[in-house]
Amino acid sequence: MEVKLSDIGEGMTEATLNCFFVKPGDFVKADQPLVEVQTDKMTAEIPAPASGVIKELKAIAGENILVGTTLLILEKESAEPQQTIVMSPSNVNGRVMASPFTRKIAREKGVPIEEIEGTGPGGRITDEDVYRFVEQKSIPEKKKVKIEPPIVHEIFDINKEDTSKQDMIPFRGRRKQIAKKMVQSLHTIAHCTHFEEIDVSALLEFRSELKNMNRTITVTAFFIKALSLCLKEFPIFNANLNEEKEAIYLKKEHHIGIAVDTKEGLIVPVVRNVEQKSITQLHQELKVMTEKALQDQLTIKDITGGTFTISNVGPLGGSIGATPIIQHPEVALVSFHKTKKRAVVTDDDQIVIRSMMNVSMSFDHRVADGATAVAFTNRLAEFIQNPKLMILELV
Amino acid sequence: MVVGELAHEKDLVIIGGGPGGYHAAIRAAQLGLKVTLIEKQQLGGVCLNEGCIPSKILTSAANRLNLLKESQEMGVGDSEPIFQYDKLRSYQQKVMDQLRNGVESLIKANKIEFVKGNAYFLSDDRIGVEGDEQYEVYHFKKAIIATGNKQQAINGVQADGNRIFHSRMIQAIPDIPKHLLIYGYNEIVLEMASSFHAFGSEVTILLEKENFGFDSSIEKEIKRILKKKKIQVLKNVRLTRATYSQQDLLVELQIQEENISLNGTHLLLANSGIPNTHDLGVERIGININERGHIQTNKQCQTSILTIYAVGDVTDGPTIAVKAISQGKIAAESIAGKLVEYDSYFLPKVVHFQPPIASVGLTEEEAIAQGIEVKIGQFPLASNGFATILGKKDGFVKVISDSISDTLLGVHIMGEGAIELISSGILSLEMVAREEDLRFPFYPHPSINEGMLEAVEALNGEAVHLPPKKNLKKVMIN
Repeated sequence: MEVKLSDIGEGMTEATLNCFFVKPGDFVKADQPLVEVQTDKMTAEIPAPASGVIKELKAIAGENILVGTTLLILEKESAEPQQTIVMSPSNVNGRVMASPFTRKIAREKGVPIEEIEGTGPGGRITDEDVYRFVEQKSIPEKKKVKIEPPIVHEIFDINKEDTSKQDMIPFRGRRKQIAKKMVQSLHTIAHCTHFEEIDVSALLEFRSELKNMNRTITVTAFFIKALSLCLKEFPIFNANLNEEKEAIYLKKEHHIGIAVDTKEGLIVPVVRNVEQKSITQLHQELKVMTEKALQDQLTIKDITGGTFTISNVGPLGGSIGATPIIQHPEVALVSFHKTKKRAVVTDDDQIVIRSMMNVSMSFDHRVADGATAVAFTNRLAEFIQNPKLMILELV
Repeated sequence: MVVGELAHEKDLVIIGGGPGGYHAAIRAAQLGLKVTLIEKQQLGGVCLNEGCIPSKILTSAANRLNLLKESQEMGVGDSEPIFQYDKLRSYQQKVMDQLRNGVESLIKANKIEFVKGNAYFLSDDRIGVEGDEQYEVYHFKKAIIATGNKQQAINGVQADGNRIFHSRMIQAIPDIPKHLLIYGYNEIVLEMASSFHAFGSEVTILLEKENFGFDSSIEKEIKRILKKKKIQVLKNVRLTRATYSQQDLLVELQIQEENISLNGTHLLLANSGIPNTHDLGVERIGININERGHIQTNKQCQTSILTIYAVGDVTDGPTIAVKAISQGKIAAESIAGKLVEYDSYFLPKVVHFQPPIASVGLTEEEAIAQGIEVKIGQFPLASNGFATILGKKDGFVKVISDSISDTLLGVHIMGEGAIELISSGILSLEMVAREEDLRFPFYPHPSINEGMLEAVEALNGEAVHLPPKKNLKKVMIN
């Protein structure tokens, strides 16, 4: 049987083949890793679909390859294996969030239910999720003709370049993916950015009060909660424009992407259902996600499905404003900049020292107008300036 | 090998006529397969002849006896009930015969060929069967191994059927022991402790571990009830020796480095046993087994030889008939070309204790250990109207849910009706039910069922028959 590079998520079309773990003549067990590929945003291992012997390698390590390309030829062990043999006791498996009937549909369609993301209530996998998964799996095959040919032998060849005058960074993997997404976003979205300054003194004070009670909560957790509360009032910024269908879809769930700077470049893990979570929970999840991002352990599920993005550049120092590029197809993005002590003139004409922070909000002018965006940041500022107001929104 | 050996051609050969084997046989026959069922002893296997059924006759008798004692207040009976153990033993035999006849006639009605004898794999498609007088070789397309497990001596202590018994000899205990010592770690320990206690024995439990392996609330209730019944429990016990004379039985134990000896009259060894793979030739033909001798299988119950399947106690996991029954049917359906899978995630744990215990899904401790923010709803049956009518006020219903998604994670019941009621819990969990799914439906009134409803309501402090209480969320602290 031919083992092909399959789409492992996000409509991926190509990947770089990092290395083979096997060589011709090797006996492999089902699910044993065969190949490491570097896809859009992460490295992934392609497992053996069945037990057998490796007959031939059909691709070269270092190459960029298209989805559907044959990686190697595997001679299956037995004449009629009905399913993949995983010789682990099935009672160690995790829970499958689907009813027995839905599971049956997945079996009949031949798709692994463990990989399907549930969109039903409480994350339950619905019949529709299974059908959608089946459809998505078959899309890359149809699209194949439209894909540009891969750049063959785009391997970092140190001999060809004069290293005395310049250093070369391979423009592949995540860097390339970031570039592609940014250009796509700029080409599609009518970007418009405005700035606002927010007094964060009360929030910082509240944080230190919490700290005294042994509760350390990152400010980002407050920011995304405040944002979620604003998105409830301004759902237009938690939306999705479909020009073909002439419709703007307002999403009820707030999946907020958090831009994280890593060695490999920018990555945006998504905190799901912010609207349903407490600030403490958000704090915990942020910690986990950031850690995963830094350890390069994010899964496709962790980085997809965002509906709004924030970029907290404050901790990086510097930066008083930016014109951030929106994560297409989202509608808006907010950057939080460095907090600085500044002299502020109060309502009663006193000069006082306050902790001030700038925010930059980019939004899609096709979907919303400036006045709405300003109203949005005003409301956001209100929550951050008076964090106790958030209590009123508790459900 | 016999020269000129003539092999019978068979579609499906099943080795073992216990619940796993006979369910597989009947399901395969229903799906149009020609089935040969091989059993060396009696149809029904351990479950029907030595395990589930005979032990449940004892627990049911104990339940009746307790019920009669408690019924006098209702005006039923006016003296201590008479209990005749020998009569119970003949009833036990009668029930087992009846049930076995039932299975036998089903095997016949489904046109399943029944062969009595010892089976041994000759290759991955041939099996030899040694009967009383003849030896036959069968050439098969598919096979299912359902040979179960067997008891073994524990640290050199061998059950002899005289004063020392193992859990397959329950029906062979001739008299009510004066002082029964029960050693082990499984549901049989609790079932036999409460049964023989009801029959009048003094009972001491020699528990191999720290507890019985349930949710902490159930452990607490078990502890309370055992104390009430004056059944002593020694924990973390290792049995090292057992000797007996005409009157007395003496066991030597190790409890945390300390050597202790204890007197009793009878000893019951309630251990899980070892899989029956040794006399079957499975290793020789290349079937993978794990370090404890269990045959390794996938979700379709296929072994490493894909045409040979294995189900029940011969595979890894808890040694219970529920598992064997499900796997037997899955193996048969898979062989018949159906797309099926076995998943033990919501395999219930059931004990016919007095009162009964039934548990499914995550325990509170397991859920917290998984980092889930859990909500607990617990409703004592003492607050359930029907339990009060019955005078069965021990126990509770406890439900565990995910506080973020409201999804039900586990149901743990101890008390009257627990084993019947747990099916609602199992079904709810399989359907990925959330709190509202259990709050919305009607529950018969008055009935123990309402305990389930009120436990779910108690998740949010809304059980009507509980005084108001602050609902605390529990999370793991790193």
